[in-house]
Amino acid sequence: MSTVVEMLNVTKTFGEGSSIVKALDGVDIRIEKGEFVAIVGASGSGKSTMMNLIGCLDRPTAGLVKVAGEDLSELNDKKLTSLRNLAIGFVFQSFFLLPKTDALDNVATPLFYRGVPAKEARKKAMEMLTKLGMADRHTHQSTQLSGGQQQRVAIARALVTEPSLILADEPTGALDSNTGKQVMDLFEGLNREGITIVLITHDLDIAKRAKRRITLKDGKIINDERDVA
Amino acid sequence: MNILIAARLAFSRIIATKTRSGLTMLGIIIGVMSLIALVSVAQGATSGIQDQFKGLGARNLNITGTTNQSLTTDDVKEIEKLSGIEIVTETVSGRVTLSSNEASTKAQIIGVDQNYKTVVDPDIFVGSFLPDVTNASDARLIVLSTTLATDLKLDAYSIGSSIAVGSTEFTIVGILDDADGFGTRGTAYIPLETAFKYVAVPPYLSSITVQTTSEEIVPEVTTNLTALLKARHNITGEREADFVITDASQLLDAIGTVQQFLSLLLGGIASISLVVGGIGIMNIMLVSVRERTREIGIRRAIGAQQSQILTQFLIEAIVLSLVGGIIGVIIGEVVAYFLAQLGQWNFALSPTMILASLGFSMFVGVVFGVWPARTASKLKPVEALRFE
Ligand SMILES: Nc1ncnc2c1ncn2[C@@H]1O[C@H](COP(=O)(O)OP(=O)(O)OP(=O)(O)O)[C@@H](O)[C@H]1O
Ligand SMILES: [Mg+2]
Repeated sequence: MSTVVEMLNVTKTFGEGSSIVKALDGVDIRIEKGEFVAIVGASGSGKSTMMNLIGCLDRPTAGLVKVAGEDLSELNDKKLTSLRNLAIGFVFQSFFLLPKTDALDNVATPLFYRGVPAKEARKKAMEMLTKLGMADRHTHQSTQLSGGQQQRVAIARALVTEPSLILADEPTGALDSNTGKQVMDLFEGLNREGITIVLITHDLDIAKRAKRRITLKDGKIINDERDVA
Repeated sequence: MNILIAARLAFSRIIATKTRSGLTMLGIIIGVMSLIALVSVAQGATSGIQDQFKGLGARNLNITGTTNQSLTTDDVKEIEKLSGIEIVTETVSGRVTLSSNEASTKAQIIGVDQNYKTVVDPDIFVGSFLPDVTNASDARLIVLSTTLATDLKLDAYSIGSSIAVGSTEFTIVGILDDADGFGTRGTAYIPLETAFKYVAVPPYLSSITVQTTSEEIVPEVTTNLTALLKARHNITGEREADFVITDASQLLDAIGTVQQFLSLLLGGIASISLVVGGIGIMNIMLVSVRERTREIGIRRAIGAQQSQILTQFLIEAIVLSLVGGIIGVIIGEVVAYFLAQLGQWNFALSPTMILASLGFSMFVGVVFGVWPARTASKLKPVEALRFE
């Protein structure tokens, strides 16, 4: 098994002096390929901060963060961006599809940025939309899609780059419980295919569907439990 | 990201925000439109005059007296002895009343010798120019300008009929095409010897035109002529000469300078509005970057490099200014066409001017797009994503 994410004694602070906030405080984790991890914890416990580090959107104040074998502190903005593009597939709570852009190009955009020729990128995007049952909506823009449909397009966009890891911050938070369940079914299916998933949630029912749960409190890991296979 | 995809994205945004884009482009449109229209006015108006002067011939030198009695037929005899001179023609003039059966008008009558035709080469509308009358004693022949013929209610069939010059009957041999030459509109031509009889006092001349053997020696001949005439007219030291020598090149140079100056002045004024248009683009682009902070965050998250964000916004600014420039060129040329109709000069599309305008608007797009585009590219992904 290969390690996708590794955090060693990671600290992340915001602000300085008296108003300093320790969002993460000495966090150690390893996430292996093929895992399905839920990160849970109260509001303000540091979940999003952790996701930003795993997602290569930010660097730690102290400690080591390795994603797909790369030490984030050693990467400049350009390399960090490439790493995001290559290794991470993001799924956000409010979908974050690109405005004025149809579903097909939304999914193809990460490949455009990678320099894949437009035709090939759109072909791959279409395959991914088909896989997620959204092929017939490929010309629709986000304003013409329901929340569940938007999230499917967003998941297609996350998957199209064949990332080492899907990173989802409250992916069901903006959906009704039924649609939320369907998205979770989708994640379970993808995980069964061997895709690594890290998902952040408030909802313990959602967290139960993951195979491992990491609980954060005040920037510290207070619990890390795995389902017994 | 591919430039093509960025350009397509820019176009679709411009179309999606039609009103705003249109208003943003308005500054560039007006700027380019006035640039094209004003410069075409400057060039059209002056090139008409330039063409008229070119009709005088680049080898010709014109000597005019500052008084009625400055130049004489004896001057001409001496001038003919100078080197580098091909041919000399002398004219006298006077104002006389011309009367046909139906109308009469005051006109400038010019008496010309047989060389005049060779030197000035007047365009004939109908009939012919004055024939060689060197040996005739009293050749009462006259050539009229079209304007004069019209004033006298004469037409093309009047060749061979007679009109009165003062109280003397003359026979019309030709009518000139007024479009040619300069100052021919209200004039009539008669033989020099005849003129000395009826409208002018010998031996005084009103002007002498010299044609040199080549264009290059015009300055040299001018110097020699000045020296010769000053000596003959006893003008020494600081005293002002009683004649003026002009050649076409001086006039052409002067008009060329005026044209350049006018083009620069009017073009400069128009360029200012183009720059103002650029500031409009910058303003809207900055607003757009703020509004799209979230979008920029998403793009950065899924793998857009800073340079790719920069390119995207820069291309958007360039597309805005270039589309504005293209619209401005089209409207500007239409305006220039109608101004040319009004001002009666030739309308010509100038590819250089069009390319320069488009180049300039693109340049404006780059200059005023760089700052907003840099702002966009420097946004931190995490913060951009959190932006509401
Ligand atoms: N950019 C920032 N500047 C200052 N403080 C920050 C910043 N980002 C996070 N924090 C602080 O760090 C702590 C952890 O925040 P984080 O967003 O990681 O919490 P969370 O677990 O994601 O909460 P929620 O469930 O509400 O999303 C909070 O106290 C928060 O105020
Ligand atoms: Mg959060």
